[in-house]
Amino acid sequence: MESQRVTQTSTILTTKKRRLLTHEGRWGLLLVSPYLIHFIVFVVGPLIASLYFSFSQYDMLNPPNWAGLENYEKLFNEPLFYKSLWNTLYFAILFVPTQAFLALLLAVALNQKLKALKLYRMAHFIPVISSWTVVMYVVDAIFNPRFGMANNFLIKLGLEPQRWLNDEQLVIPLLVLVAVWKGVGYMMVIYLAGLQNVPNELYEAAEIDGAGTIKKFKSITLPLISPTTFLVIVLSTITTFQAFEQIYVMTGGAADITEAGGPNDASLVLMLYLYREGFSFLHMGYASAIAWILFIILFLLTLLQLWGQKKWVHYN
Amino acid sequence: MKVERNFFSAKAIGYLIITVSALIMVMPFVTALFNSLKTYAEFTAVPPRWIPELFQWSNYAEVFKLGNFLDYTANSFLVTFLSVLGALLSCSMVGFAFARLKFPLKNILFVMVLGTMMIPPVVIIIPHFMIFKQMNLLDTLTPLWLLECLAQPFGIFLMRQAFMSIPKEYEESAKLDGCNPFQTYWRIFMPMVRPSLATVAIFTFMTKWNEILAPSIYLTSNEKFTLPIGILSLSGQWFGNEQYMVAAALMSLIPILIVFLFAERYFVSNFTNSGIK
Repeated sequence: MESQRVTQTSTILTTKKRRLLTHEGRWGLLLVSPYLIHFIVFVVGPLIASLYFSFSQYDMLNPPNWAGLENYEKLFNEPLFYKSLWNTLYFAILFVPTQAFLALLLAVALNQKLKALKLYRMAHFIPVISSWTVVMYVVDAIFNPRFGMANNFLIKLGLEPQRWLNDEQLVIPLLVLVAVWKGVGYMMVIYLAGLQNVPNELYEAAEIDGAGTIKKFKSITLPLISPTTFLVIVLSTITTFQAFEQIYVMTGGAADITEAGGPNDASLVLMLYLYREGFSFLHMGYASAIAWILFIILFLLTLLQLWGQKKWVHYN
Repeated sequence: MKVERNFFSAKAIGYLIITVSALIMVMPFVTALFNSLKTYAEFTAVPPRWIPELFQWSNYAEVFKLGNFLDYTANSFLVTFLSVLGALLSCSMVGFAFARLKFPLKNILFVMVLGTMMIPPVVIIIPHFMIFKQMNLLDTLTPLWLLECLAQPFGIFLMRQAFMSIPKEYEESAKLDGCNPFQTYWRIFMPMVRPSLATVAIFTFMTKWNEILAPSIYLTSNEKFTLPIGILSLSGQWFGNEQYMVAAALMSLIPILIVFLFAERYFVSNFTNSGIK
């Protein structure tokens, strides 16, 4: 009785198995195979390896040596780690709200039947499509301490010329300014898509009720595009915490990575610290520990934002 | 009357904001363009002169004589071309399978695709370096395009969306005509998703053409460099001729600018799609 049932189930299982690997099933697996390889070789494997390295001493020349929590202990006792963490946070605090605010402002201005709309949109996209190398030379034309246009302008106004990226106080605000300049066109387009989803009837109804432009913006536009704002904030927080290229290129790291990070490491962000430790000093285990701490911070920040969204994001 | 006046003033403010902003976007590029047409003496003059006295167009020809600029350009084109080709093929294949075919573990795998998008690249960058070292591919261009040929999640996602929007009848009539799934994908469905293919192509083009992190990790020989890091590496060599570097940088912008001018709507749809996700 019992054994009969077992054989019965097993025949059902084998027929099911045979059915699973039909002609179509085989084709399906074949067609997704590029991603299967990607996932196994370049995602799962590396995740496990990276976690292992973070608990090891590893210089790439010798096999990794298990070291327990040593890397993490060293990390939490390292002033440079806290400095780079603070620099990253400072960058994000300045960058994320400024970019979101300006992107929204521009999207609202552009979300009317303006002439030459395409031209305006294109102007805002030129920085978006430029590499950071191009941006560096373009920004240098303005903010070169010796012969840039900005200092010339300051002198004409009777003000002191500045050292810009070579100034410990100015380097991060200036990098943020450039990052906003480069990225705001991208976020503007995301906002434009959000604005186009706001039904016109709502504005018409509000107008009948006698609501002015500002009132309409506050009580209709802002709540209805809050999911877009949420998205813009989450996306830019994530990219900011992983910002590398801009700071690597713009603060002299390209010539010598140990030089990267601005004057007195004033713009050394976590990613740059990781790169420097890993690829210049070959402290691969330590660099992996930085990577995991960065991952955990990002994860917590995203959780925090998801939790906080309940208070201000409206989904209809 | 009142509505019209309000409308006009909102529009005027809109024009003002967007015009000022557009000028801020473009003026630094114009300034850099002028700088690239100066002599060195003019380039370093204090106070600076905005428009050069005489346009030195020859600066652009000089760029090709110095350093490995032609190598960088060729490398950038090769990496970008192979990446775009690989991304188009792999993302459409995988996207088609996820949208149209039944196969074991399909749903779990798709959740994993979405999960991959959330993993910060920084966490896996060191093991990637080890893998390519093991494969003896350091200081070659291969690591720069190989991963694009293995279907990146964002492209899969975009292509899956496109394939899902095609009515079922096409698939059934293809089956009746005796097409196997690959033929259905290649002959019937691929021509119908051209806009999404364009979006994937442009997105990949832009990422690869501008990429800095991966080439700076994988490449060590100067003649292997791609444009963004190649131009940076010239700063020592060209000391005293900075106007050439500005010319080189602006030249490296030309291909992506051309692609952008011809495919503006795909650029925009790409960004809006990434927003809606």
